[in-house]
Amino acid sequence: MTTTQRLVRGPGFGALIGVAAMLTAFTLIDSAGWWSVRTIANVVQFTSILGFLAMGQALVILSKEIDLSVGSVYGLTGVAFVTLQPDLGVPGAMLAALSIALACGLIQGLVVVRGGLPSMIVTLGGLFAFRGIIYVWTGGSVRNFPEEARVHSLTRLMGGELFGIEAAVFWMLGTLAVLTLVLNATRFGNRLLATGGNAESALSRGVRTDRVRVSVFALSALLAGCAGILTLADRPQTHVTIGELMELESIAAAVIGGCLLAGGRGSLWGAVLGAFIITGFRYELIALGAPSSWFITFVGLVLIFAVVVNQKLARMAGQSV
Amino acid sequence: MTQKPPLISVRNLNLYFGAFHALRDVSVDFHAGEMVGLVGDNGAGKTTLIRVLCGIHAPSSGEVYFDGRKVDTFHPKNAIDQGIETIQQSVGLCDNLSIARNFYLGREPVRRILGIPLLDFARMREMSTRVIRQFGLRDNVSADDDVERLSGGERQSIKIGRAVEFKNRVVIMDEPTNHLSVREREHVNELARQLRDQGLLVIYITHDIFQVHRLADRIVIMENGQKIEDTTTDRMSAEDLEAVIRHGGRVVEKAEA
Repeated sequence: MTTTQRLVRGPGFGALIGVAAMLTAFTLIDSAGWWSVRTIANVVQFTSILGFLAMGQALVILSKEIDLSVGSVYGLTGVAFVTLQPDLGVPGAMLAALSIALACGLIQGLVVVRGGLPSMIVTLGGLFAFRGIIYVWTGGSVRNFPEEARVHSLTRLMGGELFGIEAAVFWMLGTLAVLTLVLNATRFGNRLLATGGNAESALSRGVRTDRVRVSVFALSALLAGCAGILTLADRPQTHVTIGELMELESIAAAVIGGCLLAGGRGSLWGAVLGAFIITGFRYELIALGAPSSWFITFVGLVLIFAVVVNQKLARMAGQSV
Repeated sequence: MTQKPPLISVRNLNLYFGAFHALRDVSVDFHAGEMVGLVGDNGAGKTTLIRVLCGIHAPSSGEVYFDGRKVDTFHPKNAIDQGIETIQQSVGLCDNLSIARNFYLGREPVRRILGIPLLDFARMREMSTRVIRQFGLRDNVSADDDVERLSGGERQSIKIGRAVEFKNRVVIMDEPTNHLSVREREHVNELARQLRDQGLLVIYITHDIFQVHRLADRIVIMENGQKIEDTTTDRMSAEDLEAVIRHGGRVVEKAEA
C-alpha cells in the first residue's frame, strides 16, 4: 500500500476532508472574520487544549473504553496548579498538579480493571467526584497567579507565545508526534490496539490487558492535566466550572476524527483535527456574531454528520463496521 | 515414553464457575513427544481443561505441574513464556490488526533507534510472509493486510503457522480442522504429526474420534467435567472408544431413572 492509499483508507481521512470543507466554507462566508489574528489565535490556542484531551480520549476509545472524567481532571489540575503555587512555587505546583491528574487516572483505571466495572460508570463517578473536590477546595472563589508567577519562565514557556504563535500548539504537536509513534510503532501501542480490537484474543496471546487499560486511563488523565496546566499558564485565573462539558467535546473530537467506539480503530491526528473542527465552529460563530448558545447545536450536527461519513469511509475501506 | 516424568501433570483439578462444577477431580499426565487426543461431547470440559493449561482459568482446587514444577500463577503470559502455545477456536486473532502484527502479538521484535525500542516491521513482515506462502494463502494476501479480510481457513492457518514457528514445548490444538477444506485438514494433521516427532507434546482436541485415533498415541475422553477414559490407541479401537463416548456417564443415569 502506498502512503496515499494508507491515508485515504485510514481512520482520520474523514476529518481531513472535514477540515478542508470547513476552511473553504469559512473563507467563502466570512474571510475577514475567520482569517483575523484574533480568531486564529483563539482557535489555535483552544484547539491545542482540546487536542490534548482528544488525544487522551482517542487512546481510551481505541482500547474500547471511555473516559468521562477528563473535563473534571482538567479543571482539578488547573485549580491545583494555581492554588498550590504560593506554597510550592511554579515548578513544584506544576509537578504536584500533574501528579494529582495521574493519580485520578490510575485510581479510575484500577477500579475499572480490578472491579470489572464499565468505564462509563466509573469515570462518570470521577466526573462528579473530581468536580466536587474543585468546589470544596476553592470554596467557589476565583484565584489568580501573583505577578511573579505570571512572569516565571516556566509559566511563559507553557502559556504565552513562542515565535508569535501560541506556545500550547508546539506542546500539542510534539505530544501528538510522540504518541503517534508510541501507538503505531511500539509494543505498548500494538498491545493497546489489540486490547481494543479483541481483548480476549489479546489476553490469549499473553498481553496483560489489565495493565494496558490502567495505563490508558493514566495517560488520558495526564494529558487532561497537561491541558489544564497549559490553560492556566496562559490565563492564570480559576473558576469552579473550568473544564465543564469538555469531556463530551473530547469524545466528539475523537469520534469526528474517526475513532470507532467499538475500539481498535482510530487515529490521534484525526482526533486533533476533530478538536480543530469543533473549535473552528465555536470561534467562527462568535466572529459571525451568532449567539454563543448556537455553538452546541452545531457541534451536535457536525458530530452526527461526521459519524455517518466516517462509517461510509470505513466500509469503503473494507472494514466491517 | 511413560518412564520419563510427565511434562504436564494435572492433579485432582476442580474448577467452579459460580455454582457450576465445570471440572470434577481431573487427574491426567501429558508427556513430551506424545500426541494426545482429548475427546468428548460439547460441554464435556475439554476446552475448559485446556483453558486452565494455557492460563486463562485458575483452578478452584488441585494442582498443575509443568516440567516438575508446581504452577502457582495462571496467566496466558506465563504459559506462553513456558512454551505452551494454544490454538483456540474463535480466539487468538485481532481483526483490526495486520497479519504481521497479529503474528507477533505479545512477543513483538524490536529494534532500537536512538535507544528507543521500536517495532521491527521488516522482521515481522518477513516471517509472517513466509508462513502465509507456506500455508498457501491467496497470492494477493500480504502481511500488511488486516486479519479481518481472511477466510476461516486462512485465519486458522495463521494461528497454526504461529504455533509452529516459535520454539515451543507444548502445542494445544482446539478443534484445529474445523472450517478447513480437505486439503487444509491434511496439512494441519501432518503438521501436528511433525511437531510430535520433533519431541513436542501435542494435545489435539476434537469431536471426531475416528480422525484423532489415526493420529494420536493416546486418547483421553471427558464427560461432564470428568475424565472417563485414558488409554493408548493401540489398546482400544476407535469403534470401542466411540462407544465409550456414546454411552459415557449417561447410560447409568438413564438406567437408574
